[in-house]
Amino acid sequence: MERLNFTHPIHLIVGLTLWSVWFVAVYSGLSVACAVNPPPPEARSLTLLNAGLGGFTLLCAAGLVLLAWGCCRTAKQHQGRQRFHAVVSGWLYLFSAFGVAFAGLPIIGVPPCL
Amino acid sequence: MKSVNQEAVEQDPQQLHEDLHDIWGNPKGLKALTIVNHTTLGLRFMITGMVFFLIGGILAMLVRTQLAMPDQDFMSPEIYNQVTTMHGTVMMFLFAIPMLEGLAIYLIPKMIGARDLVCPRLTSLGYFCYLFGGIILTSSLIIEMAPSSGWFMYTPLSSKEFAPDLGSDFWLLGITFVEISALSAGVELVVSILRTRTQGMALHKMPLFAWYILAMALMIVVGFPPLILGSVLLELERAVGMPFFQVAGGGDPVLWQHLFWLFGHPEVYIIFLPAAGIISTLIPVFAGRPIVGYGWVVAAITIMGFISFGLWVHHMFTIGIPQLAQAFFSAASMLVAVPTAIQVFVWIATLWLGKPKMKLPMLWVMGFLIIFVCGGLTGVMLALVPFNWQVHDTHFVVAHMHYVLVGGMFFPLIAGLYYWLPLFSGRMPSENLGRWGFWLTFLGFNGTFLIMHWTGLLGMPRRIYTYEAGSGWEIFNLLSSISSFVLSAGIAMVLLDIALHFRFGKPAKHNPWNADTLEWANTMPPSAYNFVSLPNVETRHPLWDDPNLPHTMAEGKHSLAVASHGRREMWGTDPISGKVREIIHLPGNSWWPLFAAAALAVVCLSLLTKVYALAGVFVMIAGIFLLRWSWENGAHPKAAPDAGVKPGDPPLHSRTMDGPGLWAMGVFLIANGSFYLSYLFGWFYLWTVSPQWQMPESPPLSLILMGAAGVAVLAGCGVMEKLVRGLRQQRDAGLGAGFYLAAALGALQVGLTGWALWQAELAPTQTSHDAVMLVGLVYALFHGGLAVVLTVLQGLRVGYGYVGAHAPFEPGVVALLWRYNVVTFGLLIGALAVLPRVLGG
Amino acid sequence: MRERNSATSAIMSCLTSRRARQAACWLGLSLLLSVAGCTGDRSILDPAGPAARDVRLIWWVMLGFATIVLIGVTVVWLYAFKPRNVERTPAQERRIARRWIIGGGLVLPITSVTALLMFGVPAGQRMLPLPLGEPPEVIEVIGHQWWWEVRYPGAEGGEVVTANQLVMPAGEPVDFHVSGADVIHAFWVPRLGGKIDMLPGRVNKIRLEADEPAVFGAQCAELCGVGHAHMHLYVEAVPREAFDAWLAARQDAELSELATQDSAHDSAREAFATHCASCHRVAGVSQGDVGPNLSDIGSRTMLGAGVMAMEEGAVSQWLQQHQTLKPGNKMPAHDDIDKDTLDALGAWLETLTP
Repeated sequence: MERLNFTHPIHLIVGLTLWSVWFVAVYSGLSVACAVNPPPPEARSLTLLNAGLGGFTLLCAAGLVLLAWGCCRTAKQHQGRQRFHAVVSGWLYLFSAFGVAFAGLPIIGVPPCL
Repeated sequence: MKSVNQEAVEQDPQQLHEDLHDIWGNPKGLKALTIVNHTTLGLRFMITGMVFFLIGGILAMLVRTQLAMPDQDFMSPEIYNQVTTMHGTVMMFLFAIPMLEGLAIYLIPKMIGARDLVCPRLTSLGYFCYLFGGIILTSSLIIEMAPSSGWFMYTPLSSKEFAPDLGSDFWLLGITFVEISALSAGVELVVSILRTRTQGMALHKMPLFAWYILAMALMIVVGFPPLILGSVLLELERAVGMPFFQVAGGGDPVLWQHLFWLFGHPEVYIIFLPAAGIISTLIPVFAGRPIVGYGWVVAAITIMGFISFGLWVHHMFTIGIPQLAQAFFSAASMLVAVPTAIQVFVWIATLWLGKPKMKLPMLWVMGFLIIFVCGGLTGVMLALVPFNWQVHDTHFVVAHMHYVLVGGMFFPLIAGLYYWLPLFSGRMPSENLGRWGFWLTFLGFNGTFLIMHWTGLLGMPRRIYTYEAGSGWEIFNLLSSISSFVLSAGIAMVLLDIALHFRFGKPAKHNPWNADTLEWANTMPPSAYNFVSLPNVETRHPLWDDPNLPHTMAEGKHSLAVASHGRREMWGTDPISGKVREIIHLPGNSWWPLFAAAALAVVCLSLLTKVYALAGVFVMIAGIFLLRWSWENGAHPKAAPDAGVKPGDPPLHSRTMDGPGLWAMGVFLIANGSFYLSYLFGWFYLWTVSPQWQMPESPPLSLILMGAAGVAVLAGCGVMEKLVRGLRQQRDAGLGAGFYLAAALGALQVGLTGWALWQAELAPTQTSHDAVMLVGLVYALFHGGLAVVLTVLQGLRVGYGYVGAHAPFEPGVVALLWRYNVVTFGLLIGALAVLPRVLGG
Repeated sequence: MRERNSATSAIMSCLTSRRARQAACWLGLSLLLSVAGCTGDRSILDPAGPAARDVRLIWWVMLGFATIVLIGVTVVWLYAFKPRNVERTPAQERRIARRWIIGGGLVLPITSVTALLMFGVPAGQRMLPLPLGEPPEVIEVIGHQWWWEVRYPGAEGGEVVTANQLVMPAGEPVDFHVSGADVIHAFWVPRLGGKIDMLPGRVNKIRLEADEPAVFGAQCAELCGVGHAHMHLYVEAVPREAFDAWLAARQDAELSELATQDSAHDSAREAFATHCASCHRVAGVSQGDVGPNLSDIGSRTMLGAGVMAMEEGAVSQWLQQHQTLKPGNKMPAHDDIDKDTLDALGAWLETLTP
């Protein structure tokens, strides 16, 4: 975790980049799954596809929270510019985690391919 | 670094000013067309933008006149469709974006303490592309052949079959031409903000406006290429019949919608971010205190920049994609409420803790807040899928969109124009006329569009040229139309006020609003070189912390107050810390940008009139002009033949390995990569979801030939890398020969790819599979060819002595293109030749 | 319903009044309509089915909440301009600022959008074609430039095809399978529920339900060319038995007999064969499939996709003036055919009333 150098401004965009990657993965995964092998509509939202997407979402959110925590720890050890970058990056990681969880919320209750 | 150039202190300020003016000053007469200076070009952008705004406004008034009463035949449906299409197109592409770019081009160097943008000739090229493209596009109105399929140009309505005249071609070619300007401004604004801030201005100390523009510019770089790709494909379909968007040929009209909105949604934020930047600049000044939560705002900008790329499908909720996929986009659309709310409450907290004054610009800020919050709230409503299904494509959406765009862009823009007027002209605006203008605009706007929400809820669809009496929409349309005339009277009054102030405005005192940022350290109006000397700035509020700074800067008491070398110079600084790394020397005025833009205009016109041979010739001519322009760089006699700098100063950028050109190439390749990824998206999209996709039995592309071409480009890249590594260690033995070897390998790659293409015997007008494949291969051929040409030119420059251990900069820039080619070619082999073999049909 | 009738009569009187009085007429009419509570046969706010009713509820809740937020923000903003002479320490300032930013910038939007998503997404599920115990009636609607083709694949005795009219059973869910024949159109019955695009090459599905028998306005909602504004459809919900009878009367055999029985119209049928048959189908007479199927045209309430009301002589008038009534439509102007022939054609077509 220390080796990630959280005071570098690149972390300002890493969290949201991961959010975007998650988003593209979930959206395209869903589209391909629905084009290739759609689960039966009777199953409503209780499908393997929903479970897979949900698990992936939780995993991504957890990873982002971990990164936010890393930023927070690093921020405490620094001052000035380094601290600024670490704090803002930390909030951005946290927001990205929230974004993953929030945009993933419908996986719980919406049938996948209708 | 503080000591650099301290000896400049002893010079006579007036003499220094005159010497700098000799180097930077603008020529008059016909030669004014060669000007590359950002102040002049920024103003040209803004004035041209205002002219297009008036054209777009007149079109809007025609629309409101037509809709004022039911069953009117003021306009025929054909003309009405042209007028609405052009209203949207002109306002978005020819007014909003160029206007804000113009403002950024004008302000950014002044705010960050630089003397110009980092690629001045590119600014000029961008301006002429915008001007010519805009003229071509709007001329279609005069010949009554304007595009009429809506500003979103949905296929098949815009395709050859259903729009056989030239309207769609005007749109596709004109917009693509104009987008060259947006992209070039995007690239150079990114590099300028990252690499040319004045000494000491670390990333977290730069003005918030620069953060906003940085985000906007990066979004342009990533967001515009999908539309360029879409336009190229649609124009190919129209011109030669490649069925990218035709179901019968294996294409899909929905692909166009994806590509369009992949651009179209970020576009809204590209327009909003600079406008919000204006608000974040004005509020602290009029509240008399620093903004609270600078870091919060930076975070909010970053969030907006990213999330806005995850929303595009909310324009397509009714096209029948699975509900769960819609729900992702619905949720992502709602997420945008968070960064917006953060900014709104940062502004409120700043006012709350300051001592705000309701000056004229603040009145517009207030108008912005009310209108924009209202538009944001209806935006959250529209993000909800079931509600969206009801009001999508009704006047409710028209109202929402105008609340967001007029509230989120026009009001802040006018606030900003009033705020910076004294800087443009040295005079103050009239409070009286200005207030009248504001209230008429504000009331007229709400009268027009607040009612329109209701009209939409009563079921009035968008884009209908008339409606029947008895529909229940009459009174609301009439009120909207009357209010729209009040709105235009208000805008006319504002423009009158601005025009009159140049003649009658009271002369402004220096820094009239008591602002904190560096642009107010300029003379009013500013000189061509901005600052006599470049200060060391380590605070977010240089003019508040040192009110005397403008004087000491004008007296040449800070850095780079040297003119004797005859070069246009400014600092190149570290992107994070703002430490000085090198001296950037900029090119002077040049005819090449105008010539290149004119040649491109001929290309555009000949494609429009379908004289393809002429288009081919002028593509070559434009290419030659551009290469000729690039020849005058580095150690060329017209650039910086003599590398001499004062003792203690850093080297010239062309004598290092990491100048701004490398960054510009990097950012350009991001844009190019976005184009390429959109292409790959199109390939996989059609493959998986196009209703009648046809995959041939056996993959037509030879794996052996493509693989061999891949090895060749990899080897060429290896040679380039080795040469660059040598230059880094001051070795340039065999440099020229090395370049020719790399070029030969590149030529081999081009030859092998061409052979593979020839052997594949594609039928691109029959199936979209073959058409998409052809486009990918042509892309690879073009990039391979470009790398060969640039590498050969490097070899020639070694011969002329412009490149070598003494001037090692350029090969690194070309090597970056080689790396890009290796990656994209590898992906192309994977997508077109390997995966179809692995996965089958 | 009474309100609607009075509105309709007001519309009629408005249509017949002299031009000079027209402006005043709509003013009064529209105010009446708006006060009476959002009537108009395409109003989202006057739902006639469960899906549209859900959306209306969501709308009013969202509007109430949005109004509170807008007023709140504006008031706070204006209040911030009030001159205050409070000296605060930097620590106090930071605390106040953080309270504003976290309260207004994070808590407010996050709680509201979460609530919106939780309540809003389930509302859309009503319009999804989820499996039902008994499969619902399927009606296929195909958008053309600029008319509607309507098919009933589930009709007993064979598929029924008609155009520019849509009859559906009331009180039960109906699945609409929509697509586009040429460009993209959109199918939208505002009083029943959301819209869905009609794309070439794809079939989109939406489930709608009408509570009670009534007529609902519908209009194409996606720009589809010069005739976009003239692409209306009237959707008539009828009781199940009436619906079944309506379908039964439109079986090919019945329609053929209707079209060929009366020898008084022989000359009209001949003229039809010469001028119209290559584009239009009339069961038992012709097989054209470019323009609307005319086999039951006499029973439709409107002509030209909602352009004019069907009454005696209307078809002939339409044939003479259709390029003025609906500019740019794809039927050639019939300047080459004399008025008597057109009158005869019209008279015959008007008898096609199963």
